[in-house]
Amino acid sequence: MAPPAGKRVKGVQIYRPFVYGTTARPFNDTDNPRPAGVPLDHTHSWQVFVKGIEDTDIFYWLRRVQFKLHESIPNHLRTIDAETIMKENEGKGKKQRAFVVNETGWGEFEITIKLYYDSKSGEKPQTLYHHLRLHPYGRTEAEKEAMRNGGEVIAWTYEEQLFNEPFEEFYKILTSGARDKGTPASGAGGKGGKGKGKNVSQQTSDVDGKNNEVKERSAMIPLTTKPGQPFSREAEAVELKRLKEAEEKVHQMVREMNKTVKAKEAELAALKSSAA
Amino acid sequence: MASHDVRDVLNLPAEGAGFRPAKKQKTAVPRPNLKGLAREVQNLGGDNPIAIVPEISTFKKRRFGSRKPAARWEMRPFHNSARADGSLHLRHWRRRTEGQSGAQSQDGQDAGEDKKETEQKSEELDDSGFAKFNVQVDVPQYSEDQYNSNLTNNDWTKDETDYLFDLARTFDLRWPLIWDRYEYSPKLPGGAGNGEGADTTDPNTAVIPASKVRSMEDLKCRYYEVAAKMMAVQKPVQYMTQAEYALHGIMANFNPNSETQRKKFAQNALNRSKEEAREEESLLIEVRRIVARQERLNQERRELYNRLDYPHTEQDINAFKSSAGLQTLLQNLMSVDKSKKRKPIMEANGNSTPTSAQPPSAHPGSTPTAENSHNRRESIAASTSGSAHRDSIGGGERPERPTKKGAQPPERKKLTEQEEQIYGVSHHDRLSSGPTFRYERINKILTTKSHAQHQRITNTLAELDIPSRLNMPTRSVVEEMEKLLTAIGLLLDMRKMNDKIDAEIRTEQAKKAEREKALAASQAEGGAKAEGESSSQAQGKSGDKGQVNGNKPATNGEPADKAANAKTNGEEPATNGTTDGESDETPDAMNDDEAEQVKEEAGDDRASRPGSSGGQKRSASVLSSVSDKSAKRQKK
Repeated sequence: MAPPAGKRVKGVQIYRPFVYGTTARPFNDTDNPRPAGVPLDHTHSWQVFVKGIEDTDIFYWLRRVQFKLHESIPNHLRTIDAETIMKENEGKGKKQRAFVVNETGWGEFEITIKLYYDSKSGEKPQTLYHHLRLHPYGRTEAEKEAMRNGGEVIAWTYEEQLFNEPFEEFYKILTSGARDKGTPASGAGGKGGKGKGKNVSQQTSDVDGKNNEVKERSAMIPLTTKPGQPFSREAEAVELKRLKEAEEKVHQMVREMNKTVKAKEAELAALKSSAA
Repeated sequence: MASHDVRDVLNLPAEGAGFRPAKKQKTAVPRPNLKGLAREVQNLGGDNPIAIVPEISTFKKRRFGSRKPAARWEMRPFHNSARADGSLHLRHWRRRTEGQSGAQSQDGQDAGEDKKETEQKSEELDDSGFAKFNVQVDVPQYSEDQYNSNLTNNDWTKDETDYLFDLARTFDLRWPLIWDRYEYSPKLPGGAGNGEGADTTDPNTAVIPASKVRSMEDLKCRYYEVAAKMMAVQKPVQYMTQAEYALHGIMANFNPNSETQRKKFAQNALNRSKEEAREEESLLIEVRRIVARQERLNQERRELYNRLDYPHTEQDINAFKSSAGLQTLLQNLMSVDKSKKRKPIMEANGNSTPTSAQPPSAHPGSTPTAENSHNRRESIAASTSGSAHRDSIGGGERPERPTKKGAQPPERKKLTEQEEQIYGVSHHDRLSSGPTFRYERINKILTTKSHAQHQRITNTLAELDIPSRLNMPTRSVVEEMEKLLTAIGLLLDMRKMNDKIDAEIRTEQAKKAEREKALAASQAEGGAKAEGESSSQAQGKSGDKGQVNGNKPATNGEPADKAANAKTNGEEPATNGTTDGESDETPDAMNDDEAEQVKEEAGDDRASRPGSSGGQKRSASVLSSVSDKSAKRQKK
């Protein structure tokens, strides 16, 4: 891919949060019956996806995703283009905003996810690895049990895509067009109208006191955790707290260790001197 | 003498008319009569009328002009909602409104007071007009938990912060007042009442913490710090409106040092005398002149350098260093020349663009491909001529690169800080360009370690109940994780050191035990022997030696049953001759048995060294020679 005209914007890093992972459900007679034509040894239906946080649009920076499934699965290289999704979306009420592959199977394996960026970015594709989970997992039995009861095995991963020193054009794409969710894409009202509209909507939402929505085309992370959206500032704060506590603990341990080492060193020195 | 005689003498015309000043004529113009001024006063002005313009006050007689009934006023009770107690009711005069007056003037007078009272109660007491000036300052609140997670500060305890916020609320953020009343005395943890009790219970509390003297800037700094943090806690920066964001920025960036400095400057500026001010002014003018001159000089110098410097190129000019390269360059320039001739409009407005004067290295990047095709050449020619054209506009100085760089930033609009937050833009000093993932950083830390190290780190993380994959690797989380990992690295290092020292201690202890055992045995031996004196001397010697050689404790004397074994080991000391000296030193009078024993001991000492274990493998011939020697010595 030829690099686009223009230079890289030096010293600038832009990030975009997104989520990837798998969701698996075992077949059963009540709510997830085995579809016709699925081999008998398949026990689960699952899907692997790459999507924006809170289902925001990511097509403007992510052009294509290639999922490399296990080789035993027919047609194991699945390539999904943003363009085709958008084409399919036309005329539909509910728009799909994620790169998804639905499959059935019986075994867990590692899925290779290759991300192709917008052609204007001029960046090479990057690879992520994700382990497909079909069976409940977790560090403790309780976690496993919770997953078992949920009926779904969720293995979602939050990740932030960092664009280091993007090209000028891509930089412009990444740093413009933020708008509130639900508002139509810009371009209809022209530039001035867009800016105005943005301000107005911002103000009105302030009045309502609920501008906690993530803006489209921004790097924002939702404030609170909602069902089905486990990644938020709240979760971040929890994690930060946990890490801080752990760090404090480690520091404590280091201090204790330091003390014992010092004591032991003294003991050793005494032993040596007595030997001399 | 009459006057006409004098006139005669002087030969002057007698009684000349007009000579005598005519009698002053009365000014016919009648003076404007000013009312209210005495004639004498007016006459004081003489011909010019005095310049007192009397104010003619025209009071209009509007008495009974409008025959409206007089406005009715009434005493009405009111309360002040700004007061906290709310029970104080005062009365003030209020004009009665029309609707009320109609009804009330009759009712109020006719009916009893109580009725009026109730009516007024029902219509809600008036609020004082001044209540609205009682503005409550919105002082941020924080909970215990929030304080611990966000607001802890080494310099400020929670108590003191609470105290500060209390004062801020009380004095409505009037900083001079807050500062004036600020008298925080830290609470003594162990009951301030009985000092002795505290003394005995806890040595820490024995020292009464001196209350710190806080400047106004300190107070402000703490307040703004907490306020900004609480603001961010309640509403992340990305979600703030413009005004909120600006406020947050101001509070977060409060710098007490610059503030104190500013005040100091202001103080100084106010305190200086007139002379000082004048001097300062003249100095400033002087400085300005110097700076201006310096600038001009610099610019001139820069211009000169520009003239001297050859034009820089960002492209590789190696292609033109060979003669063939020069040839292509020449061809290229010729084609440029031609194309220019063909398109004279291109430089119609450029006054002079002689292509021959065009610096050859200005556009070298386009030349290597020039011979590929005619079309291509055309386009290149156009582009080069285009840029040449731009050059000519640039004028005599050709700041080729500066203009290029200067042209770029306007293309990219500057983002406000808030927009940067929204779009997730951050600035770094060093970046390797290209897309990456946030979590990669942690991954890299883990994977660059050796497998064993990695394993140990994951074990420690599991011990701390931290999942090895971060749930939300945002920037702050990743930074925190890095900190945690370095701390863990430190811990692991400490553990390693601990293990090492443990091992060393163990060996030392083992050695010590062995030594003690040996000591006990030798003492028993020494007690049995009558000639303990000389043997102990020898023991001391061998002990010294042992220490010098292997830093080993002197393990003297093995039990007698090991004597044979010890003798075979004893060859090493014997061969390197150390025992020679010893045996020389031993008194001649010493009998054979004793000498034998000394040798044994010395040999044992060596043998106990791990390094000398090879001595046992010595051949029998050596052994025999040694024994010969020892026999000789014994004969001595």
